Formats: sequence, C-alpha cells, structure tokens
Amino acid sequence: MENSTDDYKIQSFDPDSQILLKTALKDPSSVNLEKVCSIIVDQSLKDVVFSKEAGRICYTIVQAEAKQTGGNIFRKHLLNRLQQEFNKREETRTSSLQEWVCYVTFICNIFDYLKVNNMPMVALVHPVYDCLMRLAHPDALTNEEEVDCLVLQLHRIGEQLEKANGQRMDELFFLLRDGFLLQEGLTSMTRLLLLEILEFRAGGWVLSSTAHKYYYSELAD
Amino acid sequence: MSHRSKGSRSDAHSLETDHRSSGPSRWSHCRKRGIDGNLRANSDDDADDRGKGHAHSDSRHSSFTTPESAGPVSRCGRPSDWGSQVEDEEMRRDLHRDTQRYRRRILAAEVTHRERKTSSGSSGSCDSREGDNIETDEAMLLRRQKQINYGKNTLAYDRYIKEVPKHMRQPGVHPKTPNKFRKYSRRSWDQQIKLWKVKLHAWDPPAEGCQKGAQEASLNDELDELDLGDIMDIELDFPALTESQNAPLRVHNSSVQDQDCGGTPVKVQKTEPPEEADMA
Repeated sequence: MENSTDDYKIQSFDPDSQILLKTALKDPSSVNLEKVCSIIVDQSLKDVVFSKEAGRICYTIVQAEAKQTGGNIFRKHLLNRLQQEFNKREETRTSSLQEWVCYVTFICNIFDYLKVNNMPMVALVHPVYDCLMRLAHPDALTNEEEVDCLVLQLHRIGEQLEKANGQRMDELFFLLRDGFLLQEGLTSMTRLLLLEILEFRAGGWVLSSTAHKYYYSELAD
Repeated sequence: MSHRSKGSRSDAHSLETDHRSSGPSRWSHCRKRGIDGNLRANSDDDADDRGKGHAHSDSRHSSFTTPESAGPVSRCGRPSDWGSQVEDEEMRRDLHRDTQRYRRRILAAEVTHRERKTSSGSSGSCDSREGDNIETDEAMLLRRQKQINYGKNTLAYDRYIKEVPKHMRQPGVHPKTPNKFRKYSRRSWDQQIKLWKVKLHAWDPPAEGCQKGAQEASLNDELDELDLGDIMDIELDFPALTESQNAPLRVHNSSVQDQDCGGTPVKVQKTEPPEEADMA
C-alpha cells in the first residue's frame, strides 16, 4: 500500500519521528506503538493543521496493526490518551485556547476516521458532544477561534453525530440559536458562522445552492 | 460538564453479576432464616452486606490479569476507559454479525435436511432442531466469546490452525472450538472450554527448561478463570459432553505424561482478533 506519506501531513514532525511514523504505517509490530501514539497526540495538540488530518494516519496504523498481528494496542493507547486529555479539558482551555481547539479538532477527526465495523465509536459520542456543547457556551462564543472550530466540526461530522444521538444535537442547537439571537457582543463573523450552521443543519446537513451563494460567493471571486 | 456514559451497560453488568461470588454474605442473604432460626427481615444490614459483598467479601482476587491486558484489570462491572469500551463495542458488533451468520447457516442446513427427508421418505433421527436451540442471551454469548478468545490468543492455537486445516480435522483427535450458540449449562460449557484448551496444549511451542509444574500452574490459572463459585449453582443436568470429547482427553493425558517437555503454554499479548464463528 503505497500511500504517499504526504497525505498524512507529517512534515511538521522532526525527522526521527517521521521515520518512526513511516515504519509504524508499514510494520507496526516492529515499533513501540505507545510511543507512536504519544508523538501523534502531542503533535495534534500543538499543530492546528495536523489536528485536522491526524485521524487518517491513526486509522491507517490501526488497520495495519489489526492486519499484521490482530491486535489493537495502538487504538487502545490512542483512546486512553484521548480520554486523559478529555478529563482535563477545562484546565487545558484555561491555559491555552489553541490547545483546546486542537484537542476538539483532533477528537472529532478520530471520531470521523476510526470506525468499528464501519460504525462510529459509540464510546466517543458523548465526549464529542460534551466538547461541542462547551464550544457553544456564551463564554466560548465570544472567541472566534472557538466558534470557527465548532462550525468546522459540525460540517464534518454533524450528520453522523446526529444519527448517533439526535437528542443531544437538538440540545446543542438550542444553545446555538440562543447564542445567535440573544448574546450581545458577538462579532458579525461569529453571527454569520452561526447562521450558516443553523441553515446547514436545517437543510439536512447540506447547504442549498442559494444559501451557498450567499455565504460563499465572495470566496469564489 | 460531566461525561455521561452511554446506556446499555447492562450487558457488562449482568456479565459481572454472573461471575461474582460474594462468599457467605451472598448466600446468607438468600437464606430465609438467620442462624438463630428467625425469619430475616430485609434490614439495612443485609443491603449493606450485599453492597459490601460485592466490593469486599468477594472471595477471589480483586484483580486478575488477562492475556490481552498489560496488567491487572479491575473487577468493576463496566470498563470506564474508552479503550476497553470500544473493544467491548467491537466484540458486541462482531457477536451480532456472528449470530446472523450462524442463523443463516442453521436455516440453510435445516432446509436442506427437510428436503432430503421428504424426498427420501426416511424417518432418520434428526438432530434436535438447532434453530430452536440457539443461545441468545447476549451477556452469556459475550462471556463465552471472551473465553474462546483466551484460548485462541495463544501460540498453541496459531500453530494448530496452521498445521491442521479445518477440512482435515478429525473429530475427537483435533480440538474443536465449542459452539457458543448452543444451549449448554454453565458447567457443561466451562468444562468444554477447559477440555478444549487442554487439548490445544498439544500444539504448544517446544520450550527449553520444561517443567510439568509450569504447565500445571498455567492450567490452574485457567481454572481460576472458571467461576468456581458457580459450582454452588446446583446444575441438575449433567454436562452434555459427547463421547468424542471424553475419549481424546484420555489420549491426551497419556501423551502429556509421555512427553518430558510439556512445553509451557505461552499466551500472546494481543487483544481479541475478529472472531470467525468457528464451527465446522
């Protein structure tokens, strides 16, 4: 399986780590998977670009390990590390907004890519919702970084999440409507993003062509 | 913002209550009369005992190491770490898939059997219809699946399936994975698993520094996995072992005694591979 490793966006890693990752992709039993996991997670929490795509390399390693040894050591370490970070997310948010945003992006990306029998991992559904709900809180809506993260995740995994648990999606959108309507001090960009996501979901996780023109026509120019 | 665990942990929980033997307090609670002969009232003490029984007077170790885990695993009902939750989820999904495949195979076999009967007009004895006899209790199936996985996660099993392809297996001589979908009593099932694993030891990799003691020690470990407390469950039906399963045990014993090097079974540290319902 010759996937160009550029696909995995690992250029931001130091050279030794890159070699380790490339080996993990081809021959997982020959490397220390806990260490590989650690490197990936650490980088995901620092690098905004990588956190958006880290799910893919994780998925490939999980598959490679399953095929080679039938094990899922890497996945286990990954999930448990995710859980650790989840448990201290409030602390993380306070000390570094960027790390918090990276974490949410990362966990959503994992949710998107790592499936179990082609179904999303049930164990992650509530944690992901918890993160998104946090982003929809009034104090988070005042930060464009957090709003941006929130709408990005909903674009990518909103439909899957809703299928997994519709009630919590309803709750999330109650908060979003409230924020849009009632919260003072939101920037016009924030309100634009919120309005777009409200329309996006209302349209069944698809934006009508007219709405698309409204929101994105300036980009096309 | 607390993390809510998804429901449907009842499977794992009932699994756990299956395993638990809380020693005297469990049984004394069930007794209608106390030691002094008076009827027991449902007092707080009892409830406490029951609660305590689960946590403290459990007569077995509070943790145990499974082949898959890196270290001691707590005995609490539901796994709280995501790694284990996802593994359980995967096991449950695999189980559903297996169940459907098994039902299809049984139905197909029954149809064929019925067709043959009507065409030949014979009244040959037919196996009690498997379709009526499928075990469906999910918690039980999961437990059985775990027991099977322990046996399959061994070098012995790997070597066995490489050496003997399924179609070459001779009943009685070659170990056959117990069929988790058949209805068996708990004792019968546990016994089948034990015998199966004992037979698999014949394919253990040769090891230097052989001791029969080591082999016995590992068999003891396997016995520990069986819920000995459940012997208290009085099963009036005798283990439904077939002839073929009894005979090879004797054969195996003698071969083990003949060998100088029993070979220490080596458990491979890998977690459950995707299970292929092993019935042929």
